[in-house]
Amino acid sequence: MKTPILSAAVLAAAAVCVAQTPNPISRTPDGKPNFTGFYEWPKSLGGEQCKCSATIFDRKYFAPLKPGGEKFIEPRTGDPRHDEPRDYCMPAGFPSGMLSAYPVQMFQSKDYLVMVHEFQRMTRIIPLDGRKHHEDLEPTYYGDPVGHWEGDTLVVETTGFKRWSLDDYFYTNPNESRMHSDAMRTLERIQWKDATHLSYNLTIDDPKVFARPWSQEFQMRTRPEWEKMGLLEYVCQENNRCPGGKCGGQ
Amino acid sequence: MKRFFWLSVVLAGLAYAHHSFYAEFDGNQPVTMTGVVTKVEWQNPHIWFYIDVKAADGAVTNWGFAGGAPGQLMRRGITRKVIQPGMTVTVAGFRAKDGSTNASAGKVTFPDGRSVFTASAEDKVQGEGKP
Repeated sequence: MKTPILSAAVLAAAAVCVAQTPNPISRTPDGKPNFTGFYEWPKSLGGEQCKCSATIFDRKYFAPLKPGGEKFIEPRTGDPRHDEPRDYCMPAGFPSGMLSAYPVQMFQSKDYLVMVHEFQRMTRIIPLDGRKHHEDLEPTYYGDPVGHWEGDTLVVETTGFKRWSLDDYFYTNPNESRMHSDAMRTLERIQWKDATHLSYNLTIDDPKVFARPWSQEFQMRTRPEWEKMGLLEYVCQENNRCPGGKCGGQ
Repeated sequence: MKRFFWLSVVLAGLAYAHHSFYAEFDGNQPVTMTGVVTKVEWQNPHIWFYIDVKAADGAVTNWGFAGGAPGQLMRRGITRKVIQPGMTVTVAGFRAKDGSTNASAGKVTFPDGRSVFTASAEDKVQGEGKP
């Protein structure tokens, strides 16, 4: 007699547990993880590495250069149009723009994920419909992204970069240089980490420069309270008073 | 409650960012100016505001100060109403590298003692070392 009572109690307790467990993953009607919403820009898990503009890569994750990779290092020229093109409101490019300290709004449909970053109003329209990369596309600041699902992880592969924009630290530190080849591609792996954070894993794969692909894990916090204000306009040319460090306009 | 708000504003000011402070301003040339706000440009990529600063001999110089992006400031609770023409403010920042009468705007203090940080996070703020 005790056994059925105990079993019923266990089942009831289990049912309560199931009922109280929130679904941590928002999903679209077709069952895919749903990333539509407002987020903070990707942040380092170990805190920010410098007091510079937004998140930066941690050098400890870089793969070593492969023999011959040195020739792809772009020395600074002293010309801010080359060294810090954002001073002239030129695009930050990917991934630098993605790591800038501004809100990101995502819109997801069955066939597209659209990321709009408030900084420079960077817009990335990522096809999810199985298409391949463009062929013979002139390299661009933000590259050519295509996405596919691996279970609950969205994998975005981007190729065709005009340059590797790295991040703010590499833009602004005179001791650092950029490097990339035409073989560079990035892989973003995006998945829900918990109900309020996306895991955002970024891989840099440049087989002409680095001995192997390397990755850094970031996370993006949901910010539903930013829905009300929405993304604000960002027209850099509107009042860029210090192009090239000439605040007086000389 | 009001004090908490302004404290929050100051602290939040340390967490946001924008583009290259060091390309434009000299972290070794701190300036602190008091004057009357003559104009506010609440525009991207950085807000600018201008104040008339009167020297001991009575000469007036108009100084321009650059802060963060409007969106960054607004999400900290700093709207364009916080700094308006006619207000007297004391601004602490760093002078432009080109020697012009422009500077970064770090801490802005009002006559009643309230203060706000209008800087971008990567901007050097007086009283701290280089990053």
